[in-house]
Amino acid sequence: MSTWPATSAPSGVPPSTGYAASYSAPAYTSVHVRQSFGQSFSTPQPSYPAYGPTQTSSPSAANIPPTVNPAPPTAQEQSKTKIDWPDSVRRYVQRAFIPANLDASVTRSDMETKLKETITQANENGVMYTLDWDTMPLPQHMIREERARSLLPLHSRPQVQPPANAPGTTKKRKSWDQADAAASASASPTPPWRTGPTRLEDRVSFPSDRHQAGAEQPSKNTSKLNRADKRQKRNEGEYTTLREDTPPPAEGPVIGTCQDLEKRYLRLTAAPKPSQVRPPHILRQTLELLKKRWKKDQNYSYICDQFKSMRQDLTVQRIRDDFTVEVYEIHARIALEKGDLGEYNQCQTQLKALYKLGLKGKPNEFKAYRILYFIHTANRTELSNALADLTPAEKKDKAIKHALDVRSALALGNYHRFFQLYNETPNMGAYLMDMFVLRERLAALCNICKAYKQDVQLRFVTEELYFESDIEAAQFILDNGGQDLLEDRNGTIIFLTAKAGSRFDARRATAFSRVDIKGQI
Amino acid sequence: MEFTTPFFREFAESYSERSGPRLAKTLRPDVSTEKLRKICKSHNAHDIKSSLKRGLQLNAALADGLDQQEVQGWVDVYVAYWNGAKAILAARESSGDDGQSSELVWTKVYAAWTELVNVLIRGYQNCGFEAWTLPCLYVVCKHLRVFASNADDERNNNTSIDDSAAATFQDDFDPETNKRQKLEDCARVLSRVFMLCQSDRAPLEESRKWGIYYIANLLLKTYFKLNSASLSKNILNSLRAGGRDMPSFKAFPRSQQVTFKYHQGVLAFLEENYVDAETYLTEAWNDCYKNSVRNKELILTYLIPCRLVTNHTLPTEKLLAQYPRLQKLFLPLCRCIKRGELHKFDLALQEGEDEFVKRRIYLTLERGRDIALRNLLRKVFIARGFEEAKDGEKPVRRSRVPVAEFAAAISLGSQERIDNDEVECLLANMIYKNHMKGYISRQHGIVVLSKSGAFPGTGV
Repeated sequence: MSTWPATSAPSGVPPSTGYAASYSAPAYTSVHVRQSFGQSFSTPQPSYPAYGPTQTSSPSAANIPPTVNPAPPTAQEQSKTKIDWPDSVRRYVQRAFIPANLDASVTRSDMETKLKETITQANENGVMYTLDWDTMPLPQHMIREERARSLLPLHSRPQVQPPANAPGTTKKRKSWDQADAAASASASPTPPWRTGPTRLEDRVSFPSDRHQAGAEQPSKNTSKLNRADKRQKRNEGEYTTLREDTPPPAEGPVIGTCQDLEKRYLRLTAAPKPSQVRPPHILRQTLELLKKRWKKDQNYSYICDQFKSMRQDLTVQRIRDDFTVEVYEIHARIALEKGDLGEYNQCQTQLKALYKLGLKGKPNEFKAYRILYFIHTANRTELSNALADLTPAEKKDKAIKHALDVRSALALGNYHRFFQLYNETPNMGAYLMDMFVLRERLAALCNICKAYKQDVQLRFVTEELYFESDIEAAQFILDNGGQDLLEDRNGTIIFLTAKAGSRFDARRATAFSRVDIKGQI
Repeated sequence: MEFTTPFFREFAESYSERSGPRLAKTLRPDVSTEKLRKICKSHNAHDIKSSLKRGLQLNAALADGLDQQEVQGWVDVYVAYWNGAKAILAARESSGDDGQSSELVWTKVYAAWTELVNVLIRGYQNCGFEAWTLPCLYVVCKHLRVFASNADDERNNNTSIDDSAAATFQDDFDPETNKRQKLEDCARVLSRVFMLCQSDRAPLEESRKWGIYYIANLLLKTYFKLNSASLSKNILNSLRAGGRDMPSFKAFPRSQQVTFKYHQGVLAFLEENYVDAETYLTEAWNDCYKNSVRNKELILTYLIPCRLVTNHTLPTEKLLAQYPRLQKLFLPLCRCIKRGELHKFDLALQEGEDEFVKRRIYLTLERGRDIALRNLLRKVFIARGFEEAKDGEKPVRRSRVPVAEFAAAISLGSQERIDNDEVECLLANMIYKNHMKGYISRQHGIVVLSKSGAFPGTGV
């Protein structure tokens, strides 16, 4: 890859990079075949009549792949004989790849595309030998400039955008050109007689070929392929939320220009417009505003909506810093407070990843919540994973240790210890514990009923299960079908455990049955 | 081997013999670098195809029943293999000279190898490859997984390449997408191969369905690595759904059965379905080849905790002695459980915590504390001796035990002060879980234990 500029750049057909190779390799993307229809017909091997409608009518023909033949070597050779690249061009290419000139925000494949395009254009216009290549702006600079230009309110597309590129980039999701129509058609449930393996994928990939014929553009292929796979996966029930494919990396992160503090949340269905995205300094003001509004109004639906749009703005601009952490933490806490576990869960997942990047925040607080959350959802596998992720130092942290103790108390059925811990929960963990304290009370009650004969004082239940008062404890027993189990004996209320038998067991089982939360992990 | 006359003869002979394993050997990537180099050097990109075709056709007569379409299919396969070999050679050579190159050589290998899988799949779909050639698919798929892992490791170790920049339309960024990218991709490819085997409608004796458990095992292994139990479930479900049209499970090679049972057992284990887990793992244990120590060790890693929970049995020291690694893992715990040493049990659990958690058996082993506690309480009960003997009757144990005595034992055993309420709670648990028969009388502060079998299953 690093030797690329010197040897093969002038050919105008960049060889595949590491990533390109992984996706351009499949036979059905072979550029070679598309360029020479005649050849593929003349070969004695099974021929593939056309890429058009026939493929749908004859499944077997549609599946026959074009021959596997790596295009680059031949293409390279052809062009070598045709064009003698002037030294100035070679120097230009070399200059572009000097480490000092590299720009981190421009990916290599972007640069290569740009280079190729610039040189090809010069060649076609016949100015290749006359152009002053030494003063020509480098591709990375051109790309940066284009990006900056696209931020202008007019949103004028840079004219130098390669034509082959256009359909693939911006219109990715909403374009109704043939390719996507075909793709979406094949995504619809296939009739049983054509559910052959890989058929879906093959068909999705063929149309993309058509577009790629002229220009090799690996990144596009990547997302196509992934999309087909993802769709397949989604059908298999793996994806719980609809996830859209990634646009090709040719588009850098959006840089927002929106100056409004508030913005309603809308799920993105197309690439975001910079004019509708708020840059970080605006978002900081937004956060301050939202904090104030939350204190004042406590309007959760408004706050949640605003936070979601903030998160969206951060994501599309790929901002992952301490501020991002703060936004997610605050949203997570508010969601917790309001018992919105779905939203909380999303934040939690993000936070886990953000902490991994080494950003500042309150990782221990949220790791503790995470453990409590998995106790609530009774997700043993994830709980195990969460435990495996803890370092010895973290295990000593007050909040995490508390969560771990809660877990072990429950694992051993030590309700006495559990309710003590419930009483001393740090941070906002109690909101999470509230979610499962009911079922644990039922479990403990079952325990007590089976183990204690003949009866116990209600006071004992109140204290063991950590009710606020005897009245609350009595109410709990009454609510769960224990009307006849309480007795007044000389002024003390007695709970008739022996009489209860296993009456609470059914309620306990119901309470422990699956917890269902939107977007649960 | 390089594509010269011996190769073509080998191919033709394997073909006429219908020997899948023999044919599969020609597609192995794990050959010496020397050999790889020979394979790569024997041809160039221009003539590889034509010379392969010529060679295979010349020997087609020898290879009984090899038709034109199949020849074309195999030509494609070997061209893809040749490309793969080139990538592997490059990878091996670059790993030799320790330069932290920015090139992701294993990613290239993975790409080339995926292509080989794809070509093979098409061979089955379009070129009439027969089911006896399935071992070729095995060999190729097996290495695909390895290459995917290599590619992921290489990329994760190479911090200079940041490809996490891909923009998304999501509200939140997805942190895990890139870490196991290739392995996830590999899982997708393998699941296509799985479908390829499953959907074959040919009569059973020549059906690709015979390949299904090999691929399923490979796929499960991949899913385990990806920590995706839910996807594993899908595989099991789909195998169950296809049950009627499948060859009998017992008719598959023993090795595949054992591996599959093991996976099934571990999945049940992770879901806390210990009864099923025990069944599957026991079957795997019984059928496991006696000399494959490693596999037996793996099975026991889950079977031992499983049996601890289902019927409170501990492995014998004799059994553990055969597996030093397991001995180190389980023996201290087992001893503590047996002797009812609570504090030492906690220490032993803590000691092995990292390893236990890593193997996902921590939460299960933790439940061994109940058994340790039961054994401790049982000791208290026995120490109290018998009621004063009445004439001619069998002596009866003293079954009314003050809570305070149990409290003393527990405090002593766990080496911390535990108040009576908590002790009662622990006792209530024992009773609730049927480790102990009897009841607590709170007014009198005593536990009344059953006169017959106070500790079920322990002979007391």
